[in-house]
Amino acid sequence: MTIKVSRRVFGAGIVATGLVGTSGQSFAQGTPKRGGTLVATWGGGEPQACYVPAGGGSSPTFSSSKLFERLALRKMDGAFEGVLAESWKPSADFKSYTVKIRKGVKFHDGKDMTVDDVIYSVSEIWKKYAVASALTDFAGIESPDADTVVFKYNNPTPEFFFASTLCSPVAYIVPKHVYAGSDPVTNPANNAPIATGPWKFKEWVRGSHFEYVKNENYWKKDEPYLDRLIIRYVRDPAGRAAAMEAGDIHIGVFNPVAPPDIKRLTATGKFVATPKGYEEAVWSTTLECNMRNPVFAKREVRQAMFHAINREFIAKTVYYGYARPGTSPIYSPNKEFFTADTFKTGFDPKKAAALLDAAGFPKKADGKRFTLNLLAAGWFPENGKVGAYVKQVLEDVGVGINLTVPDRPSSIKRIYTDYDFDLAISNQANPSEPVPSTTQYFTTDGILKGVPFRNASGYSNPDVDKLVDRIKVETDPAKRKALVFEFQKITTQEAPLLPLVELESITLASTKVQNHSNDPNFLAASWGDLWLAS
Amino acid sequence: MAGELVSPTPALRGSARRTAALRLLRRRLIQAVPLMLGVVIINFCLIQMAPGSFLELMTAENQVSDPATVALLRKTYGLDDPVWMQLLKYIWALLHFDFGFSYRQNMPVIQAIWIHLPATVLLMVSSIALAVSIGVAAGVVASMKVRTFWDSLVSIAAMFFYAAPSFWLGIMMIVLFSVKLGWLPVGGMMKIGGASSGTWAGVLDILRHLILPTLALGLFYAAIYTRVMRSSMLEVAQLDFVRTARAKGLSRNKVTIHHVLRNALLPVVTILGVQMGTVLAGSVVIESVFSWPGVGSLLFDSVSSRNYPVVLSIMVLGSLVVIAANIAVDLIYMWLDPRIEIR
Repeated sequence: MTIKVSRRVFGAGIVATGLVGTSGQSFAQGTPKRGGTLVATWGGGEPQACYVPAGGGSSPTFSSSKLFERLALRKMDGAFEGVLAESWKPSADFKSYTVKIRKGVKFHDGKDMTVDDVIYSVSEIWKKYAVASALTDFAGIESPDADTVVFKYNNPTPEFFFASTLCSPVAYIVPKHVYAGSDPVTNPANNAPIATGPWKFKEWVRGSHFEYVKNENYWKKDEPYLDRLIIRYVRDPAGRAAAMEAGDIHIGVFNPVAPPDIKRLTATGKFVATPKGYEEAVWSTTLECNMRNPVFAKREVRQAMFHAINREFIAKTVYYGYARPGTSPIYSPNKEFFTADTFKTGFDPKKAAALLDAAGFPKKADGKRFTLNLLAAGWFPENGKVGAYVKQVLEDVGVGINLTVPDRPSSIKRIYTDYDFDLAISNQANPSEPVPSTTQYFTTDGILKGVPFRNASGYSNPDVDKLVDRIKVETDPAKRKALVFEFQKITTQEAPLLPLVELESITLASTKVQNHSNDPNFLAASWGDLWLAS
Repeated sequence: MAGELVSPTPALRGSARRTAALRLLRRRLIQAVPLMLGVVIINFCLIQMAPGSFLELMTAENQVSDPATVALLRKTYGLDDPVWMQLLKYIWALLHFDFGFSYRQNMPVIQAIWIHLPATVLLMVSSIALAVSIGVAAGVVASMKVRTFWDSLVSIAAMFFYAAPSFWLGIMMIVLFSVKLGWLPVGGMMKIGGASSGTWAGVLDILRHLILPTLALGLFYAAIYTRVMRSSMLEVAQLDFVRTARAKGLSRNKVTIHHVLRNALLPVVTILGVQMGTVLAGSVVIESVFSWPGVGSLLFDSVSSRNYPVVLSIMVLGSLVVIAANIAVDLIYMWLDPRIEIR
C-alpha cells in the first residue's frame, strides 16, 4: 500500500482527552436533512490526480472514492454489502464466483453501467494496477448474461478474500467507453472523472479544492443528502484548525489538526473527534531488519532488536498515548485474524544483550558489538522521533547506530530499490484480509526491487511461503483462521519485520455533520449518506 | 546584476538618455544569456545530485514492478540518456520554449505553472507594493522626526516585523483577524462557490483573501525598506546640494520630497531588484500557510515529489524574473539620477 499522508499531527501528540468520550458515540441523529454544502479536508496534501488507477496513496483515494464506486463494501459490523454488485456466490470448488451486477446504474455522463464496464475494470485496471497483487491467481472474467459476471481463479479462493478484493478502496468500476484504448495512467479523465457514485465532478481548482455536486441520477434514490461536497486542501495543520474554527471546513479526516487543537476544538462543544472509521485501514509503525546484512542471519539478533525497544514508551511519548504496542503483523482491531497468542519480543534489555552475546556478538573494547545503519522513513515526522529513541536504546545494549531520516522519495529509493539500510522504521496500513497486504512483507514473492511497501527485508522462508500459499487457497474459514494464527506465531518469532506500535487515526467534525465515521474505511467511503444538521 | 555606477557625470537629456538606456538594455540582455545558461546548468546538476527520482516515485505510486515497463518509462522520459545528453536536450528544448511534461499533473510543465502563476504574481506584486509604500513612507517619517517618539515607534515596529518569522506572523493574523474577529477569510484565493473572478464581486472577494497573505509577506520587506530609507534619507540630507536647496529658501517639505527623497530612493531600488528572488522564495511559505494556490505551492509539491521538470522550470523562470528586475533597477537608476551612467 502506498503511503501518502501527513501524520505531522501525531508529532505533537494526539491527546486522548476529549476523544475517549466520543469513541462510542453515534454521529447520526434524527431524520436526514437534505441540501447544503459540506466542506471537508484531510491531514495531507493535494493528490497528483483526482483518480489514480493504481491507488496512488491516501490522497487520490480520498478524492476519487466520492465519485467512483466499488462492487462491494464492508460495514462497521464486519458484514459485506453489495454496492455495484447485488450479490456474489462461489462455485462448489471455489474456483469461480458469480457476481450479479446492479441494474439501472448510470455513469455521470448518462451512459448505462454494464457488465462490459465491470469486465474492462477488472481485467484492465484491477489486474494491471489497482489490486494486481491480490489477483495473482485470477484466470479471467466473463459474462454469461447481461447482468452477471463470473470471476475465474486458477485455485480455490476463500470467500473472505474474494469479498475483500471487491471492497478494496481502489477497486473501482470505471467507464469502459472513457478508458478503453487509452493509457489509463495518463487518461485526462483521471483529472475530471466520470463514474457512478453519489457525487459528480464539477471542478478542480489546483492548489485549492475539488468541487463535487449531487448526482441527481444516483441509483440510491435517497442519496446523496447534500447538494455539494467540497474537498479543500490546506497544507498546514494550524491552517486547518483555523479554517475549522472559523466554520470554513466542517470535517477533517485522517488527523487533520494538531492534538492540542483537537482538545481545544472539542472543548468548545462545536466539534467531535473520533478514532472510529479506520478499522479497515489500521496504521502501524514498523521496524524491519535487512536480511542482506549477515548479522541478521540469526533470528536471535533480530529478536534482540525488538527486546531492546520499549514499545509502550513509543506509544506514550512519541504518539502521546494515541497508539498501542504492536504485537503481531496482524493488528489487534482485526476481529477475524488477530491473535494475542504469538511469540513475545517485549521490552527486556537484559534479554536483548544475552541474545546478542549468545549469537556471537559480545561487546568489544569500545563497548559496541557491531554498528548498523538505521533509516527512519521521513514521510512521517514521528518516524524520525522513533528513530532517535531506537538509536538510544540499541546503543544501550551495545549496538552502534547511524541514524538517517531521508525525505519520502529518498526513503522509498533507499528502502525499496537500493535496500540501503540495516534497520528501517517504516509504516503500513493494512485491511483485515491478510493476503496479500500483510503476507507480502514476509513471502519470497514479495521481494520486488523498486516496488514499495513489499518485502524489503529480503526475508525468505520456504515454510512461510508454503503457509501463505495454504492461506490463499483454504476455503474453510475456521481452518484459514488457524493458518493465519500460525503465520503470526512464525513471523513474530522470526522477527524480520514487526510493528512497534499500532496507530489510531482521528476524524474531527463539526457537530453539525451527521452520519460520519460510519464506515470502517471512512476516508474511502462515498459520503453519500452524510448530512448537515441545521 | 545591478551595474557599476559611475557618478557624477553631466546629466544626460532627451534622446541621449534614451540611447543610453537602450544601450544598457542591449548589454544586459547579452549578459543574461550566459547567466541563464549557468543557472540552468547549476540547477540541473543540483537536481541530478538529489537522491530519488520522479520515475522511482511514479513507479512506486503506480505499483509498477515490471522491468520492461520501467525501462519503457525511462526511455519515455529520456532518463536512459547520459546526464550530459539529458542536459543538452533540456537546453535545446528550452531554446524552443519547451519546458517539458509534468507526469504528476499529467500536462505540459508550462501549463502547470501557468495555472498557478497568476496567484503568485498577484501576491508578489501586492506584497512588494505594500513593502515599498510602507517602507518608504515610514522611513521618511522616521528621518524627518529623528530621535523622537515617532522615530522610535517606527524603529520598534520595523525591528518587530523584521524579526518575526513570516509564517508565524501569518498564523497569528489568521487567529486574530479570521478566527477571533471574523473579518477576513482564513485562506484560499476566492470563496468556494462565490462570485466569478470576472465580476466586481469576484475581484473584491480576491482582494479580501489577498489582505492577510500580502501583509504576512510584505511587512518583512517593509521593515527592511524602512530601515534603509531612514538611514539613506539622513545621509542624503547632509549633502551639499540639500544645503544649497535650503539656502535658496525652499520649504522643508519641498526639499525633502524633491531633493532628498528622490536621491535616497536609490538604495531601496537596489534592494528591490536583489530581493525579487527572495520574495518568490518567501511566497512558498506564505502560500502554504494561507493555502494560496500559487507557484510556491507547486514548487513545494514538486520538490517533494521530485517532479524535476517543474522544479527546473520554476527555477529558470524565477531566475528570469530576477534578471528582468535587475535590468529594470538599472533603468530606474538612470531615471532617478540622470547623472548616473551604468557600465
